[in-house]
Amino acid sequence: MKQGRSLSNGTFGFLLTLPAVVLFGAIVLYPLIGSLTTSVFEQSLVAPGRAFVGLENFRHVLAYDFWPVLQNTLVFTGAGTLAPFVIGFALALALNSKMKGRAILRGAFLFPWVIPGVVVSFAWLWIFNANYGLLNGILVRLGLIDAPVSWLGEPGTAMMAIVVAKTWASFPWIMVMLLAGLQTVPEVLHEAAAIDGAGTVRRFWHVTLPHLRGIIGVVVLLELIWNFQHFDTIYVLTGGGPAGATTTFAVAVYETAFKGFDLGQAGALGALWMLLLSVLVVVYVKVAER
Amino acid sequence: MTKRITVFIIGVFAFGPVYWLLVTALTPTAEVFTFPPRLWPKTVTLEHFANLADNPALLRYLTNSVIVASLTALLTVLISSYTAYSFSKFRYRGRKSLMYLILASQMFPQALLLITLYLVFSAFGMLNSYLALILSFTTFTLPLCVWMLKGFFDTIPDELLEAAKVDGAGQGSIIHRILLPVSLPGLVATGLFAFIRGWNDFIFALTLAGPDKQTLPPGLVNTYLGEFQAAWPDLMAASLVVSLPVVIGFVILQRYLVAGLVSGAVKG
Repeated sequence: MKQGRSLSNGTFGFLLTLPAVVLFGAIVLYPLIGSLTTSVFEQSLVAPGRAFVGLENFRHVLAYDFWPVLQNTLVFTGAGTLAPFVIGFALALALNSKMKGRAILRGAFLFPWVIPGVVVSFAWLWIFNANYGLLNGILVRLGLIDAPVSWLGEPGTAMMAIVVAKTWASFPWIMVMLLAGLQTVPEVLHEAAAIDGAGTVRRFWHVTLPHLRGIIGVVVLLELIWNFQHFDTIYVLTGGGPAGATTTFAVAVYETAFKGFDLGQAGALGALWMLLLSVLVVVYVKVAER
Repeated sequence: MTKRITVFIIGVFAFGPVYWLLVTALTPTAEVFTFPPRLWPKTVTLEHFANLADNPALLRYLTNSVIVASLTALLTVLISSYTAYSFSKFRYRGRKSLMYLILASQMFPQALLLITLYLVFSAFGMLNSYLALILSFTTFTLPLCVWMLKGFFDTIPDELLEAAKVDGAGQGSIIHRILLPVSLPGLVATGLFAFIRGWNDFIFALTLAGPDKQTLPPGLVNTYLGEFQAAWPDLMAASLVVSLPVVIGFVILQRYLVAGLVSGAVKG
């Protein structure tokens, strides 16, 4: 029997959603629309009143902040999705065998992902520390660098350092999702392919990958969406610096609104951000609906 | 063999930083600030953990975190369970659109929502209150809980609820006497996930609360990453302490983990 058919008192069903719908409207939809609306006003966080300025804020952010911020966001999102995906996939494949203590290993590997985002930042802030950091210590001992490097203080290395920290925090989730997917690949398919003379690599391409297509799509899309709006790691590690080299949309909107008090420009930047993000979200909902 | 090497290399990347956190938290201050750093400490100390207990501000952040994350979890599970029941067992126009709107809202940028939340809470004099934090946390726990609970309710056979109806039970008692008790493990797991998400929040508590109502994540940032030299070993000790409840939570949730990830965030 199809679930949910026989209780179909639709009106009562809808009434049940009302508490959540009202709350949702008040704390999610209204704030979203309200924030997007500030983009056409000249408005301050700390002073009352606002004046309509049309598209002036958009003109301003498109002339200044938007492009460098977009570039930083794309670099962070791209590298911050690709690196944990490769590591997470490799680990999932390695753990998808009858290895001793696999369940415990899988659980232990989740640690970087479950801990609070600020702790991730603290750990890597300390590892990347210019004066006493572990990374500089190891590289100097190995003779790979002559003097300690300020990884988070140089525009050339700061973004990559952030990506390393974010990769550390994201790959466990990807591993768990792909491992769950791998366990649904029927053993017989592999056996049949092996009998036909397919080696490990060919079986990976022709049996494993096609079977995982759906879950890979979901994992990659969600990672892209989350990274596109990520805040915690970047804000704690660099605050968007040095010289704006790691200022992504999340950091730029936050700083413009809560440090610069300029809600109009924060709203304009946020609206453009939301527009780009919604493309990803629409694709994701389409995938999730299937 | 390649599998073992893969696990080993990724293991170094995954657990190296954890080891370093632990070592730094256990090393006397004088030894920590040497270069190059020692990979294992000469002497071990618990002084940094003792420092945390002596800091009244940290205890306040801890209390705030416990209160706010718990109340957020309770409120969200309470409200979401009715909605999830509706999504799972009823069919009506607009149901799907509502479901996917709630799902998609998990992806609305927090920094953007925060602008208006700040203005509204400020207008109502609610800045720096537990209520402001709880309501703002609900923006991300509500979608999570609705979708996760729907996943749990989907596994409860209609026949069970039908039978109660035939016996003359009203909708209210079907929900409160049958559905919710039967789903208790699911409710607890969902609540725990919501608690963890609230516990880990940074941006809302950073912005909507001052020092006396702030939770641990922004509290630690403000305490240790201020203008003065950070006390790294103390911060590493604090990091372990703030991570502990979350790690315990996940050990309990192991069984629900994949179901939670898939049904809560991905599909119903």
